[in-house]
Amino acid sequence: MANGYRLGVDIGGTFTDLVMVDLSNGKLFDEKVLTTPDDPSLGVIEGVEKILKANNIHPSKLKHIIHGTTLVANAIIERRGSKVALITTQGFRDIQEIGTELRYDTYDLFMEMPVPLVTRLWRYEVSERIRADGQIITALDESSVVEVARAIASSDVDAVAVSLLHSYQNPSHERRIREILKQEAPNAIVCISSDVMPEIGEYERTSTTICNAYVLPTFTRYLARLTRRFHEMGIDKELYLMLSDGGTVHESTAAIYPIRLVQSGPAGGVQAAAAINKVVADGDSQGDILCFDMGGTTAKACLVEDGNPMHANEFEVARIFRGKKGSGIPLKIPVIDMIEIGAGGGSIAHLDNLDLIQVGPQSASADPGPACYGLGGLGATVTDADLILGYLAADNFLGGDMQLDIEASKAAVKNTIADPLGLSIVDAAWAIHETVNESMAQAAAIHALEKAKRITDYTMIPIGGAGPVHACNIALKLNLSKIVCPPGAGVASALGFLVSPTSFTTVQGGVVPLSRLNFKKAIRQILDMEAQGRKLITAAGESESSIGVKVLASMRYIGQGYNVEVGMTKAVLIAEDAEAIRQLFEAVYLTQFGRIEPDMAVEIVSWRVVTAGPTPEIDLAVARSVPQSDDCSKGHRQIYFGPKNGFVSAPVYARSKVQVGREFVGAAIFEERESTIVVPPGSHSHVDKALNLIINLPVKDEVEFS
Amino acid sequence: MIKTKQFSALQVGVVWQRFNGLLDETAHVFVRTSFSSVVRDNWDMAVCLMDSQGRLFAQSSRSVPSFIGSMPRTLKVMLKRFPKETLSPGDVVISNDAYHGTGHLNDITMIRPVFRNGKLIAFLGSVFHSVDIGGAPSVTARDSFEEGLTIPVSKILIKGVKNEDVIAFMTENLRAPEETFGDIGAQFSAYELGIQRLIKILDDEQIDDLDLLVEEILGRSEAAMRKAISAVPDGTYSDEIMLDGFEEPLKIRCEVCISGSDLSVDFSGTSAQINRPVNSVLNYTVAYSAYAIKCAFDPYTPNNEGSFRPITITAPEGSLLNPLRPAPVWARHLTGHYLPPVIFSALAQLIPDRIIADCGSPVWNVYFAGKLDDGQRFIKMFFMNGGHGARPHQDGPPCLSFPSNIATVPIEQFENSVPIMITEKSLIPDSGGAGEFRGGQAQRLSFKITSEDPVTMTIRHERVKYPPRGLLGGKAGSPGCDYVNGERIPAKIRMDLKNDDVVTFDTPGGGGIGRPETRATDMIISDIDSGAVTKEAAERDYDFQFKEVLLGG
Repeated sequence: MANGYRLGVDIGGTFTDLVMVDLSNGKLFDEKVLTTPDDPSLGVIEGVEKILKANNIHPSKLKHIIHGTTLVANAIIERRGSKVALITTQGFRDIQEIGTELRYDTYDLFMEMPVPLVTRLWRYEVSERIRADGQIITALDESSVVEVARAIASSDVDAVAVSLLHSYQNPSHERRIREILKQEAPNAIVCISSDVMPEIGEYERTSTTICNAYVLPTFTRYLARLTRRFHEMGIDKELYLMLSDGGTVHESTAAIYPIRLVQSGPAGGVQAAAAINKVVADGDSQGDILCFDMGGTTAKACLVEDGNPMHANEFEVARIFRGKKGSGIPLKIPVIDMIEIGAGGGSIAHLDNLDLIQVGPQSASADPGPACYGLGGLGATVTDADLILGYLAADNFLGGDMQLDIEASKAAVKNTIADPLGLSIVDAAWAIHETVNESMAQAAAIHALEKAKRITDYTMIPIGGAGPVHACNIALKLNLSKIVCPPGAGVASALGFLVSPTSFTTVQGGVVPLSRLNFKKAIRQILDMEAQGRKLITAAGESESSIGVKVLASMRYIGQGYNVEVGMTKAVLIAEDAEAIRQLFEAVYLTQFGRIEPDMAVEIVSWRVVTAGPTPEIDLAVARSVPQSDDCSKGHRQIYFGPKNGFVSAPVYARSKVQVGREFVGAAIFEERESTIVVPPGSHSHVDKALNLIINLPVKDEVEFS
Repeated sequence: MIKTKQFSALQVGVVWQRFNGLLDETAHVFVRTSFSSVVRDNWDMAVCLMDSQGRLFAQSSRSVPSFIGSMPRTLKVMLKRFPKETLSPGDVVISNDAYHGTGHLNDITMIRPVFRNGKLIAFLGSVFHSVDIGGAPSVTARDSFEEGLTIPVSKILIKGVKNEDVIAFMTENLRAPEETFGDIGAQFSAYELGIQRLIKILDDEQIDDLDLLVEEILGRSEAAMRKAISAVPDGTYSDEIMLDGFEEPLKIRCEVCISGSDLSVDFSGTSAQINRPVNSVLNYTVAYSAYAIKCAFDPYTPNNEGSFRPITITAPEGSLLNPLRPAPVWARHLTGHYLPPVIFSALAQLIPDRIIADCGSPVWNVYFAGKLDDGQRFIKMFFMNGGHGARPHQDGPPCLSFPSNIATVPIEQFENSVPIMITEKSLIPDSGGAGEFRGGQAQRLSFKITSEDPVTMTIRHERVKYPPRGLLGGKAGSPGCDYVNGERIPAKIRMDLKNDDVVTFDTPGGGGIGRPETRATDMIISDIDSGAVTKEAAERDYDFQFKEVLLGG
């Protein structure tokens, strides 16, 4: 085994998490420090110093640092990016402002629409036109470009997004504009849409390009700062960044496509769950998993099949209304496909105009936080309910570093929910808990349906601070019977960075009916994309021979508005076998939609090539120090498990001291520093060799849709 | 077991949430497996649950407003033909009668009874838009017989077995039966899921008597609506709105009467029905009126019949809003989309904080029909919205769909499918009505024909003569306008276009709210900066000369 250490660092909204692996023996170390929002690199450095010092490791021993951050998403959410200008085709500068023309809420007359990142003043049009087939109809009027470039040069614009109609078919005009800008406005950063996301769909392609330009200067400045600080502490290793699709890239690539980092943290969490599941024994997991990540303000769910998280090519960032679909900015980037629910531990419960309990979307966030933090929060949050129900202990929050005030929780629940409804405090707390669980279960069920998956035989892996508290109850609602609770669920994202391969997805759009596909051209394009990917992966230090290549085609029946992703082989393309391609498409279509349309023609919308280095192996079965003694018991406490069970006296265990092989019957609580696992009555649980707590829930009658 | 009338807030909350969730799941299964793009892409469908008394207590959350509340009325008619005791598990009753359904023949309603332990406990129903329904629907239709096939109330499934007679009748009368029956089949499988989910919820929650729980849900929804209505003073408020119409303009008059916690809307004084396909049957009139009232009074309660109990909607028989058979009805949205604005303007003085000024709707669209390079025929529809009306404390957003919710077509997708090029899609300066809060800007769309064969274009646009009105002192938005090669053309026309012809549509702008003189100076300046308002218009509409000083010229 190699010597040295690999370090994963995830900057979250509240905490910066670090996980480090000793490459010589596979042992893992964790650390958690507060995020420093004004300059996040400070928190990173603090965490790195802490984890190195705590384990007595010299900085020079760090071989590889993989980093993920909310910086990109937050810059867009908080509108703290750079000043961007847009250059587009004559007649179309308002595309971003007009959008899809769809309301995201049927009844709300006053819904707010996201304000475009580029104000109209900075949207320039140039005379040029490319047809849908890529043919130039109107040549680029270079003098008008020079004029625009000079106006930009004399302004305080930091970055320019260039997005012309049909540039995914023919990038020549966008490239020429970039050249002219380089001469006339050398200080401006330029992003062209045919480079950032060469795919059909002017609205999404343009908004992706704008967002990339919007975050790029901020992101590169941050990277430079972080690198300098690392140098100061004697670390001169290059950085690797986590992308939203579960791949990592060298910092130089991330600096070109920073928008692809927008979901880096959550992607890490899913990658960790997939890795954890790999080492779980066959009988303890059923292969496919539902990863459930619940934090302070939001929860996310993702399906992982055969070890592969489901992917998507779209993402919506910065939703401005209750996390509602359509209220944010659309991006076309490769992402791990997750459903997001706007509720977490900090979500506040309130009564709606029907006197029914609603949880969220308002959140107490970190300050003032839930009522039990004692920082002045008066709203009853999910965390307050969990404390009243006995799931959380007042003296064990963050390992006891923070004392919770249960009386404050009771007062908040009493005043805002229990008294107005004439309920007891416990019933009201249970109602809050149930309501939030029901929302999560429903969101996950609909997500699974959209993906045409039957998830009743999936294993749930809960991560995030609140995930293990709510996992069992949600699983019961979804008719899932197995839950795997890994150690260190609170730092799962950073662990995920360590088990993700260096990988990059290149995209090339160009709508063409299968019957008219020019195979030679397609193969040439794919080989070009593969070469580009290989260059990035080898530049990141992977050997040429270790690189794997996957070719995907986005396809649909002609006339449809959405695509399915079809895995291709170079062999069928070389054989120019259109019928085989149709069969590959129909096989995917059939599983997703339950039928095929034999009479309809098929078209290819775009090609994707995923080039990836080897997946770093961490043997999670030996990664954690195994407890030597068996003094894990922390006594009993009264835990509420719904009106059927009432309060149950359940044993409480210190998770870190539970030994491999231990078995438990019935209700139990397992306390960790960052989270608590709540196991309901009727369950059978045990600890596997990787220290995962495996929970078998009481089996309910199966109701399944076929 | 719950047998008392007392349900806890927790139980009602969670079970209700689960009912709504189950319908969203059912809707997803339908949409995911449907054949037609109107269902798949526009969600022109709805799924509802009614209890054994036929009371609608939950509806899928994503659908167009035309389906609000129509299903219980359709069910009533169905039960006359097939009384409850004649229904069996696995039956599905179908009808598209425009006058008992949602107002035009293209919407097909189906209802399946739900049995539990041998007892009929609920009805699961769905409605969807079938693009073709036979006949020859057009703006020239003089009666509803021309508009296609009417499927009388029939069982399409009898105890789970297809009724081949009904299917044969339909197949013979439809141009694309595969697509329509594909969508019908998709609903059959969606019902299976919905019923399983419903039974599971009732079992999980140990609910014996669904109707009791439904009463609780409806009661709470009703109470919320009553509370909202009671909060405003009693009185009668009326207004009218002019429609471009055909040879002659049309008029909709509405009178809203609030008395305690009851609200009634009456459309006496509205134009008589006409022999053009814009008549809105009472169900459709009720749907769009109820939608407007829900938006203004109680937008957040999940959709169910309880919210509408305090509300009565009436229109004189034989009028545009309650036509008698066989008045043609196919394009009834050209009338129905005017109902929210006229109700809002009637209520503007009363609840100025809860209404919006007129939007640039009814939604504009255009049909292009022609030949592709390979000789294949195409028909392509393109939607384009006008400016949204100003809101009481915000400007109207540009080009946002209201009251229906229909997305535009992406330009690159459009150009990939037909030999027509879009040469402009831009916001129109000065199109939003002036006001303290400005109406949303309209858009200009230009299409250039690029095929050797002629392309036939059909349009039927409103708000060309009568632009979207402002409210409370706000000015009207700009009227819509249609051009071919720069020349004005009629807004309702079918015509041939040849290669290189350019057709341009200026959609109508949203109306403003509040007196323009009261608009904040910085908002005027930012409008001038962005080009939403020209300097000339600012001078004219906002008394800008006075404020020029602030700009420094």
